[in-house]
Amino acid sequence: MALLDVKNLCVDFHTDQGTVHAVRDISFSVGESEAVGIVGESGSGKSVTMYSVMGLLAGNGSITGGSVSLNGQEITESAFPDHKAYEAAMDQIRGNQMAMIFQDPMTFLNPVVKIGKQITEVIKNHQKVTDAEARARAIELMGQVGIPSPEKRLNQYPHEFSGGMRQRIIIAIALANNPKLIIADEPTTALDVTIQAQVLDLIRDMKEKMNSSVIMITHDLGVVASLCDRILIMYGGKIVESGSDREIFYDPKHPYTRGLLQCVHNPEKKEKLKPIAGSPPDLLKPPAGCPFVDRCPEAMKVCKLYMPEVTTYSATHQCACWLEEANRRKGENHG
Amino acid sequence: MADAEIRKEAAGEKAPLLQVDHLKTHFDVTKGLFSPKQIVKAVDDVSFYVGEGETYGLVGESGCGKSTLGRTLVKIYPATGGKILYKGQDIARLGKEEEKHFRKEVQMIFQDPYASLNPRMTVGEIIKEPMEIHGILDSSKDREDRAAELLKTVGLKPDHIRRYPHEFSGGQRQRISIARTLALNPRFIICDEPISALDVSIQAQIINLLKEIQNELGISYLFVAHDLSMVNYISHRIGVMYLGHLVEEGPADQVYEHPIHPYTKALLSAIPIPDPDVAKSRSRIKLEGELPTPINPPAGCPFKGRCPMATEECGKSRPEMRDFGGHKAACFYAEAGK
Repeated sequence: MALLDVKNLCVDFHTDQGTVHAVRDISFSVGESEAVGIVGESGSGKSVTMYSVMGLLAGNGSITGGSVSLNGQEITESAFPDHKAYEAAMDQIRGNQMAMIFQDPMTFLNPVVKIGKQITEVIKNHQKVTDAEARARAIELMGQVGIPSPEKRLNQYPHEFSGGMRQRIIIAIALANNPKLIIADEPTTALDVTIQAQVLDLIRDMKEKMNSSVIMITHDLGVVASLCDRILIMYGGKIVESGSDREIFYDPKHPYTRGLLQCVHNPEKKEKLKPIAGSPPDLLKPPAGCPFVDRCPEAMKVCKLYMPEVTTYSATHQCACWLEEANRRKGENHG
Repeated sequence: MADAEIRKEAAGEKAPLLQVDHLKTHFDVTKGLFSPKQIVKAVDDVSFYVGEGETYGLVGESGCGKSTLGRTLVKIYPATGGKILYKGQDIARLGKEEEKHFRKEVQMIFQDPYASLNPRMTVGEIIKEPMEIHGILDSSKDREDRAAELLKTVGLKPDHIRRYPHEFSGGQRQRISIARTLALNPRFIICDEPISALDVSIQAQIINLLKEIQNELGISYLFVAHDLSMVNYISHRIGVMYLGHLVEEGPADQVYEHPIHPYTKALLSAIPIPDPDVAKSRSRIKLEGELPTPINPPAGCPFKGRCPMATEECGKSRPEMRDFGGHKAACFYAEAGK
């Protein structure tokens, strides 16, 4: 059984301009101790998907369809009798069974509360421990994530730490209760390359040590290449392709995935960058057909009108594109 | 410009467009009247040149002084020491007319396309404003036409001229910024992390646009960024900064493929490679710790605290730039071609 199972999830946001269909009917699952990367541009719905899994959607957002289950237990609000029961259940789950690492370490940490208190708070919320035990655990965690002289730094405030150190503290908080699932939302985007490498190493080590699953949300294909076993490519609120790391990088099927791979500069190869022309679709008025149709170099008439069928290539590799269907029919006609 | 001419400049046969000589930009951050003096040495003793039609890439981590350097070059910050020569003239000693000319020819593109465009002005007004200030073209109609033409140059539609910045995406806004700088027919543009706020698929669009403009108009760029792989893609030469100092400099491919300075080596090996087999198997040079504070930095090599090769000697004096055939590095243990 999968650890996390998302089925036909739809998320809408109500804004002054109308309803934004941020996530449109997506399904995926994450197995035990698996690392899954969700790759997409800003506005593709990758963060919104994970925020709805965590039950952390903004006030104007709501899950309008589908279900999310963790360890076989359904955790969508519609599965609970009322909002209060849902929040009570989520309080037990969040930070305990699953935890999130956020992008911006400065806005996540409370600037007027000492680091030590911010870590022990999470421990005491979910475990019956004394103050001294919680403190000892906090020191242990800070040591694990590589913060030097943790006993001393426990009494410092967030502004006394650098960006990389703050991100380590956030990781320590996320790990405090040995969660089964760690969701990292662009954890290294705000950091420099050398610090990014340190933080990615840390996430990888921690995942192996604690045997937890990781979902890595990012727009950087380089980050997922070094860390993830399986990759989902999101575009315009849909999963357009999913596959193992090797399937996505060496045998990409969707024109968007191929385009994405061509517009990152791979220092190992000398190639001219081929950007994807245009910009992402407006999800206030999502296209009836494939979300990528306006930027796709291989778009056909059918792409504009109907959402493509999903083609399955292997147990892990799937892609939603009409090109495959077209190729198949061509083959049939010839045969 | 042809590579041959750049080589001529490198050989000193032709004066470079911009020459920076032992430049220092220091900030006094002393708190209180009687406390000891605290100086942030954001840029300390940096020398390099940028040739006509050339792109010079400046890389380093945040806090290394690369943006401060860019801003000092356009006189947003005053230089504390050293000289900046533009077309052979010291920019600190320009007359009123020369100053205006300098400010017209040297332009800047900023990192954040959301903060660098006035939300209350239309795109047309934004692009026309610099032309009005510098008295380019006589009538408002001509300027309008020119603005529409510039929008086409940067890949937008001429009828976008009456729209406001909020109607555009990040990449499109960055195109508007580029159109604004081009309005003055600049010779030299300082690009301060122009792509780091953009999505990957859009970054490549902007980089290719900058390259096309350079090929067509022969403009020189100083391209400031922390992303070494993109810098390598656009630059002819690269300089690597660490804690206010230039630690390595050379032709882009040489710096990228055969780095000399241990910091450059570490920086390169930290770049995530979009290839799972390579990324999961390669060994990385791991840097411990982070960039130290530039407030009253200690003597010696700026990198000694994190350097895997550091010895006692590195703490005694600062290594000078040494030349390895056009490729320079400031390290006592640097060896060429390794």
